[in-house]
Parts: sequence; structure tokens; C-alpha cells
Amino acid sequence: MNKPPSGNLAIPPIRSQPQDEPKFRPLDVKIIRRLFHYTRIYPTLRNWLTLFVIVRAIQLPLLAWAIGAIINGPISHDSMRGTLFGCIGFAGLAVFTQVMFAYRIHMGQTLGERVIHDIRLQLFRHLLTMPISFFNRVPLGRIISRMTSDVEAVRSGVQDVFFVGCVQGGQTLVSGILMLWIDYRLFLVVISMAPFIWGLSHRFRERMSEAARAMQESFSRITVTLAESVTGIRVTQGFARQSVNADIFQQLSADHSRYTLNAARTSAVFLPLLELSSQLVTACLILAGGMLTLNVSHSLNVGILIQFFFLSTVFFSGLQSVGTLYNQALMAMAGAERVFRLLDQQPDWEDTPYSRDLPALNGRVECRQLSFGYDPARPVLHDINFVAEPGQTIALVGHTGSGKTSIINLIAKFYLPDAGKLLIDGVSILDIKSDYLHRHMAIIQQQNILFTGTVMENIRVGRPTASDTEVTEAARQLDCLDMVESLPQGLYTHVGEHGAGLSLGQRQLVCFVRALLADPRILILDEATSSVDTVTEVRIQKALAQLMKGRTCFVVAHRLSTVRYADQVLVMDRGRIVEHGTHTELLIKGGVYANLYRQFARIGLGGSRT
Amino acid sequence: MEPKTPNAPSTDLSNGRLIERLLRLTWQYRAGCVRVLALQMALLALTLGGFGLTGLGIDFIRHTIQSSATPPHWPFHLVPPTTWAPMTVVMAIAGAIVLLALIRALLSSIYSIQLAELLQRHVVVNLRSKVYAKLQSMSFRFFDETASGSIINRVTGDVQSTRLFIDGVIIQGLIMILSLAFYLVYMLSIHLRLTLFCLCTTPLLWMATLIFTRRVRPLYRKNRELADNLTLTLSEMIQGIPVIKGFAREPEIIERFAVANRAVRDQKYALINQVSFFSPAINFLTQVNLMILLGYGGYLVIHGQLPLGAGLVVFAGLLQQFSNQVANIGTIANSIQESLTAAQRVFEVLDAPIEIRNLPSALRVPHLRGAVAFDHVGFGYEPDAPILRDITFEAGAGQCIAIAGATASGKSTLLSLIPRFYDAQKGRVLLDGMDVRQLDLNDLRRNVGIVFQESFLFSTSVASNIAFGDPAATQDQIEHAAKIAQAHDFICSLPKGYNTILGEGGSNLSGGQRQRLAIARALLLNPTILILDDPTAAIDPKTEHEIMEAMNHAMRGRTTFVVAHRLSTLRRADLIMVLDRGRIVQMGTHESLMKSKGAYQRLAAIQEVDVESQRLMGNPADPGQEAP
Repeated sequence: MNKPPSGNLAIPPIRSQPQDEPKFRPLDVKIIRRLFHYTRIYPTLRNWLTLFVIVRAIQLPLLAWAIGAIINGPISHDSMRGTLFGCIGFAGLAVFTQVMFAYRIHMGQTLGERVIHDIRLQLFRHLLTMPISFFNRVPLGRIISRMTSDVEAVRSGVQDVFFVGCVQGGQTLVSGILMLWIDYRLFLVVISMAPFIWGLSHRFRERMSEAARAMQESFSRITVTLAESVTGIRVTQGFARQSVNADIFQQLSADHSRYTLNAARTSAVFLPLLELSSQLVTACLILAGGMLTLNVSHSLNVGILIQFFFLSTVFFSGLQSVGTLYNQALMAMAGAERVFRLLDQQPDWEDTPYSRDLPALNGRVECRQLSFGYDPARPVLHDINFVAEPGQTIALVGHTGSGKTSIINLIAKFYLPDAGKLLIDGVSILDIKSDYLHRHMAIIQQQNILFTGTVMENIRVGRPTASDTEVTEAARQLDCLDMVESLPQGLYTHVGEHGAGLSLGQRQLVCFVRALLADPRILILDEATSSVDTVTEVRIQKALAQLMKGRTCFVVAHRLSTVRYADQVLVMDRGRIVEHGTHTELLIKGGVYANLYRQFARIGLGGSRT
Repeated sequence: MEPKTPNAPSTDLSNGRLIERLLRLTWQYRAGCVRVLALQMALLALTLGGFGLTGLGIDFIRHTIQSSATPPHWPFHLVPPTTWAPMTVVMAIAGAIVLLALIRALLSSIYSIQLAELLQRHVVVNLRSKVYAKLQSMSFRFFDETASGSIINRVTGDVQSTRLFIDGVIIQGLIMILSLAFYLVYMLSIHLRLTLFCLCTTPLLWMATLIFTRRVRPLYRKNRELADNLTLTLSEMIQGIPVIKGFAREPEIIERFAVANRAVRDQKYALINQVSFFSPAINFLTQVNLMILLGYGGYLVIHGQLPLGAGLVVFAGLLQQFSNQVANIGTIANSIQESLTAAQRVFEVLDAPIEIRNLPSALRVPHLRGAVAFDHVGFGYEPDAPILRDITFEAGAGQCIAIAGATASGKSTLLSLIPRFYDAQKGRVLLDGMDVRQLDLNDLRRNVGIVFQESFLFSTSVASNIAFGDPAATQDQIEHAAKIAQAHDFICSLPKGYNTILGEGGSNLSGGQRQRLAIARALLLNPTILILDDPTAAIDPKTEHEIMEAMNHAMRGRTTFVVAHRLSTLRRADLIMVLDRGRIVQMGTHESLMKSKGAYQRLAAIQEVDVESQRLMGNPADPGQEAP
């Protein structure tokens, strides 16, 4: 196989393989069978491939045998005609072999590629059925390594290990049988070297993978340091510390070179030893052959000796590659096992079969004795009761950890309540399809998530069927068309990863327009403006008021300007609603809210909209 | 993946110039290269010797049992004494093979180690350290314009690929040429015409390999791009899952992923087509050689013109080796391409001019008083897109200057001119009346302490993060700085106190804690000028007050520049500047600015509690005042 040219353009992949994930796993029939199951939808390809694998396993030793046979037969017996026929035969066999080879590679690779494609798509679909809680629990790096390094391991398992392994194993077997058939005594000489070579290469692989691990670790120290140096360059230069850093890096670099040299030494010892042993086979063959030919009454033909030179090469090369492949197979097992484990993981919950769409959503939200905990043993919400009438704005106020975001998570049906009822237009949220609910709801969060693509595409996430005019219209309604159009390419400006290319305020506005385009009945603003500076906020506020008009809104905010005009303020403390009323009522009451307001006002978070 | 952001200002070197420089680099390591080559030649001789002996053994055995066969040709007139039994001769030959093999194993071991030492211990380490050192002093412009993945790659992957020129191109190339010559001479010495016939397919093999390499390379690159794109899509989708689920956009997202996924697969088919055509074709060409050998060589053996062992069998072995070396041309061609691309990127860094440099006559200023003045300063990251226009102000030593303005109004840019992260294009920045460009850069920066919006912390201990500016600082100095920054208490409550190792980017600390550490770090050198570039921007407003206090302590006795929006900070400043699109639109104290209609008034209004609420709270206190 040709190795891909080691590209220098790629960002070094982040090896996010966590420590607790083993790299190897013993062969497991169940996993192999399940992998094989993926080839079921490509029966023609699979069956032909199997046939070709078998033919290949026979062809290779046959070719080696043919060379020996021609030298041994017609050439030794001075038959020019025989030699000619032999050569033509050999040519035919060679052509046939290579044609088989071409199909074998083509089919093997194609099948592997298709299987991997299917697995990746299946994985992704499966991931999207998982509720939000799954993504909060499982780190991103782990999900990505399922889809990249684990799937890659499976690919090499299918493409290289399985089919190549079968060819190589078969080749060893067939050449062994041929040698045994030609002369069992010489075969014994050859086979006696086999355990030695096998043992040697096994030991080598072990030592090599140890050395490689140490090498990788020292290299990741280099990349981590480098990444920090690049990200922290302002700090470094700001504190004039360039030369100290350069010394540290030089040391790391030297350290890494030591480990690299270690690996090189290991292979410098083992590879020549392996080569040496194959030379020993040659010497032994000459010796044994000589003995048999010269001493034991000419019972052996010299030609047989020549046969053995060619066949034993095939035999040992097969043996060695099977050894290497075995390691890869164990890696593929580990990868496949993890992929399957993820595929087998059931979502924590799913919509009940009775859940349905509502004829129309008005946006009345009611909580009755609601309680909830991310870990049921430790509830974070207790006995929540309130009613939000359609079109009302409900502000949730309270300290960090008081349960504001949890209420929102329940209303959005990202989590299900443990006890009590959450009713939307009088229907239990459990009986409403998640999809339907989400299509009539919009959530704007602090981290205003954007995707790579144009601003237009990002806005359209709110309603993919919207026309360009509708998108523009939505931006105009929020009075931010000028802001969007001032971008380099207006609505067609490309947004980089994590919203790169847009300022915080711009990102926020894009999220607002996106929400408006979805035209939700229920709007949730979870600290939506907290990452924007005050000057920008002045601008955004108008848009926000426009967006909230006529919808049921839930607002989590610590800027009190939003709270001031809410229809209801829910003051939360340790998972309970401790005060409930309008801004004015609560200030008059002079309780928790009044205190909180005073505190916020002191650092300048209060405010009016005048 | 190709970095999306444009690469650093490219000093496009022509291939000729690149090769010349790479050759000069190789010349520095000439002794090592020669040693490695000499070893390789010895190895080659031993391989040939091994082949010869094998053939000899076969011929001897054959001749002994069948005297009509061609007699063995003893090399160097080393004819074994006739008194030896045939078996003894065979044993001697076998022994010689083993002996040669042993020496070969030993030498080849030495060869590998020598090569690795030359490359990994010397070439790579030296080059890497050089590139890294240079990177450290590059101006911010480079870091702004170059994707961080690409920068990291220059030090890691690109350096490795650059050294490939030494071993993959120069050494391998010489080895290829020399071994081909050796093999050729050896084969010619056995039989001239047989050699020529057998090698007639070699040019074809050569061409096939080169074509294959050339066709496959862009395909692999494309495949890698598509695969990276797929991973990127995945990671973005997973991070955006609240939005996707929130808008119920699963079907659209699955389709988007499926498209990227399909693209990877379908592009791979093109690659598979190439591989499955060329691999067998190249294999076949070597087999054609073998066929010719069997046919013509067989004819020669039959007519007694060629010994079977030393001729035919040895030839078969040599042909195999010869084809392997010829196939090497593909690898070498790849290496040339790869090392040239990488070298371009490495030299780009090494050649890049350092924009901000010390004047030879730079003034040493260990201690400044701290008076700062901007004199009609203009600046833009690109000269035709000015970010700052005609900025003029004066700040007395020890004063506090607050800067307010919308995102992208130029606040951070203005501040970055003081420690000379960039140089002004128009006007002058003056410190104690001296142009900053005339001051010693290290002295200047040690006099200026900076806290950024989002402070970057290194994944070392808390203590060494605080002592970042002065690794020799004592524990007392560190604790003193931490105390001023209100960080001492929380540091002590960490599992290992000052020796606690921080996660990457300080991930095991809260935002407020990170910023307090950053303030302590800035204070360690007891700077005359302190720059606080909106340190509360990325902080949860609920914990903002933690840092406010630390900032207040830190400002005492220093000229302080602070980007701020909170009234409580603004009203304390001696001078407030309001920036809008790179200009100072308002300047003055809180009181004076509140009197004039303008941006500042609006900014203040949004933070002030309305009259009605004030009345209801029964607390007429001005919200901007310190709590009683």
C-alpha cells in the first residue's frame, strides 16, 4: 500500500484520546461479526472480494514456485522449449495476478470506504437523538475522537487488516504447504526459524510501541508549550520574557530528540536482527541442502534448493506482516468497540409515543409543583408554581445557582421534570413533540453560537425556508439592517469558527434576527446581553424590545433594565421562588428583590430605558 | 488543512533560492552526511557479497554432483584446497554468508543510529530552536495574520519536513544513485547483454512511479482537507447543539453532515482508482524484468554461458533490489516537494523582519516616572484603514485615565501603542517626554504592566504564573503581588496553594480568579504604568466586584489606563476619553462630561436607576458612589 505523503499543511491533530481509553482490545468475534454486518448492503462487492482474496492467497506463492520451477525444470534440464513455455506461463500468471491485485485493492478499499461512510453517518444521526444532557456530560474531545481516530482504526481494520491479513496469512499457509510437499526435510529447516522470527518481531513491536509512546508524550509537551506560546505571545512580549521561553523550549526539544533517538535505537537493533535471521535461513538452507545433496546419496535435487529460496521468502514475509497486522487488528477492535458502545447508548429519554403536535401554540406556560434535579438525588428546583399568560414577559432573578437556567431548561424541554407538571397551553409538555415545541420557541444564550457560513445562512437556521427578502426584512424589523450591511460583504459576509469576523454585538444581533425569523411564540433570553458592553447594549436594546413584542418571554438577566418592565418577576433562591410580583410591587415590599436591586445598582447594572 | 486566514507576509522564495539555502543547510552537517553515506556503501558491498556467496554455494553443489554443469567461479582466486571434502566447502561458504550477515547487521544498526543522531539530535533540534526563538520576537501583526495552527505547524511539522531535504533528498538520492551504479556494475560484470535486456523496462518503471506520485499527491491533500472539514463540521455541530435542538433543525444538520461525509467518500474513490491501477502496474513491470531474465537467462544457462547460481539466481536477487531502488524515485520526488514547501514556510519565519526592534542607540530606562502623552497619533493595522486618528492627550504621572467606547472603537489598539506592541504610523507616543521608539524595548515593557480582557495563563504553577515577568522572584515578592491583587486568599485555599498547577488556559480557575492572578502578574514587576484593558469584559457581572476591588488596589501610585464601562470606575478617573471610530469624541472628568449631551451621557443613563425606583427603594443614594 502506498502511504499518503505526510502532509505538512495539516494542523497537528489534537490527540484527545483520554487516558482511560485503552488502545488495544483482544479480538472479539461479536465485534467482528457486527462490523461484517455493515458489508451486508453491498453483497456483490463483498462476495467478489472474498473470492479475489482467496485467489490472491494462492497466486503469490504460486508465482514464487513458478520461478523456481522454471529454473529447476527446463533450465536445469537444458530445455529451451520448456524454458520458453515456462516463461509464457509465468507471464500469463503474472498478468492474471496483477489484474486480480487491481480488483482486490479497488474492491477492498471501496468496501472499506463505504462501510466507514455508513458508520460515520449512523454515528452522527445517533448523536443527534441524544438529549442535551448527554452533551453536557460527554466532553467534545471524546465525541470527536469517536468520529475520527476510532473510526480511522476501524477503517484500517477493514481495509488493511482484514483483507490484507487474509491474503498474507493465506500466502504463508500456501507457501508452507508447497514447501512441505516439495521436501519436508528442508521445510523443517525453514519452519525451525519461524518461532525465532515471530518472537523477535513480536518483541520488537512491543519495544517499539513503548518507545513510540514516550516519543509521543514528549512531542505533545512540545506542541502544548508551542500552543501556549502562540496564544500567550502578548503576555510573553508584554513581560519581555522571550529568552527564558526560548531556553525552556530548547530543553523540551532536546528532551524529545532523546526519546526519538531511543525509538531509532530500538529499530536499529531489531530490524538488522530480523534481516540477519532471514540470511541465516539462507545459510541453513545451503548447509542442509548441501548435506542432503552431497552426503545422503543424492536424494535431493539442487533445483529444490532454489525453489526453497523463493518460497521461503514468501513464507516469511507473510508471517511478518501477519504479526504487524495483528497489532493493528487489536487497535481496530478497541476503536470498533467504542464506536459500537456509543451507538448502543440509549438516549436518557425520548418523546413518548403519545406526544403530538398542537393545532396552534398560544404560549401560555404553567408550572405546577414542579421539581427537578440533574442528579435526581440532588434536586435543584423545588415546588415551582407560576403561570405565564401569552405575550407576558417573565423575568427570572437570583444569584448564580439559584435555579433560573434550570427552569429554562425545563420549559425548553431540554430536560424533563422529575415531579409536578409543566403545561403549555394546558397540555403537559410530555405530550408535546419536542420538534413541534422547538419550532415555536427560540432560545438566545449568552454564548451566541454561530456556525461557519455566511451571516445569511446563520440567520436562516431560524427558518431554513425563508427567502433572502424575508431575512433582510427580519433584520430591518429589528432595526439592525444598517449594522449587518456595514459588514464587508453585508449579509453574505463569511463567519469563521466560533463567530470569528463578527464583533460580540454583531454576533448577538445575528442571533436576535435568527430568533425573529423563526417567529416563535415563546422566547427565552438566557443572559442574552451580558457579554455586550454598555455602549453596544444601548443599541441592542431597541432590537430586543422589538423582538419581544407579542411573545411569551422568559428573561434571565442581571441587568435590571430588562427586569424593570417585566410583567412578572420571579425571584429565585436555592431552587425556590421566594418572591413573585412586578418590579414596583417588589421594591415596595423591600425584601430579597429590593436588596438585590440595590446591590446591582451599586455596580451600575441597574438602569432605565430612557 | 490550509489555514483560512491569509498567511504571514510572504517573502516568496523561488525554488532555486530555496534549494540553494537548503544545500547550504546540508553543508553545515556535511561530516555527518559523509559518515552515513560511507556506512551505506559498506552495507551495499556486503549485500552484494552475500548474493555472490549464495550463488557460489549453489553452483558448487551443482558442479559437484553434475560435473557437466558450469564450474563455480571463485572470487579473488580464493579456490578452496582440493583436499577439502565438498561438505567442508559448503560449510565454509555457509559460514561466510553468516559472517557477512553478522557484519551487515552490525553496520546497519550503526547506520540507523548515526542517521537518527544526525537528524533528530542536531538538525531538527537546532532548526526548531531557531524558529521558536525567532517566533518569540515576531511582531503581533504576524500572530494576528497567521492562524495559530499554521504557526505551530511551522515549528513542528514543517521543521521535520525541512530536514527531509537532508535525508530524504540528498542522502537518499545519493544512496539511490550509488547503489544503482553498484548493482549495475555488478550485473554488467556477470553478463552485459542479460543486464541490458533485463533493465529495458527500468525507464518505464521510473516513469510510472513518477506519474503515480504526481497524480496521487494532490488527491491525498484534497482528501485530508475534506476529512478536516468533516471534523470541523462535526465539532461545530456538537458545540452548537443547543441551537440545533432549540430550533429543531436536526434534519438540516444531518443533511449538512451527510454532504460533507459523502464528499470524503466520493473523493476517495478517485484515489482508489489511481492506487488500484498503478500498484499492480508497477508490480507487473518488475515481473516483466523477471520474465526476461528467465527466458534469456535460461537460454544462456542452457548454452553454458551463464552459471545457474552465481548467474541466474544472483541476478534474480539483484533485479529485485534494483527495482526497489528505482521505485525509491517516487519517495524522493515526494520528499523534494514536501521539503521545499515546508522550507518555504520555515524560512519565511526566519527571514521575517522584526518590525518592532531596539534602536542601536536605545536609551536604558530602568525606572520611568510615568507621564504619558500621545501627540497626534494615527495608526491602522493596514495603513489605508486607520483604526486611530489624530489622538492627542496628556496623562500626568500617577493619574488614572479611563477609556470608554463601543466595541472596535480603538480602545485596545490605543493601549497597545504604549508598550510598543505596534508602532504608531503618524505622530508620537511619549513617555516622560521621550519617544517610546527611542527607549530600550525590554526596559519599556518592564515598566508597563498589562492585564488583558481575557488573561492567558500558562499551565504551570500559580507561583510561576505570577512570577512570569521575573522567574527569579522570591516567594515574598510573589505573595506581596498576590495580596495587592486580592488573590492571596483564594490561592491559599487551592489544593497546593501557590504550587497548584493550572489546567490549560487556567481552566481550573473561575474567570474572576484568573483575572486576579493576571493582575498579580502585572504587579510583580512593580510597574510605573498599569494598563487594564477591560479586565471585567469576560467576567460574569455577578462576580465583577471581586476584580473591581483588586483593580482599585492595583492602581494606587501608578499611572493607570483602564478601559471601563461601569460608572463606579469611570467617575473615579482623573480623565475620561470616549472613543468613537478611532477618534476621541469626548474628553474630561465625569462631572464635566455629564453636563454635555453626548455618548457619555447615554452610556451613564443606561446604568443609572430611574427616579421612580430610587424613590421606591427609599435610598436616594447615587448608584455610582461607594457603598456606605
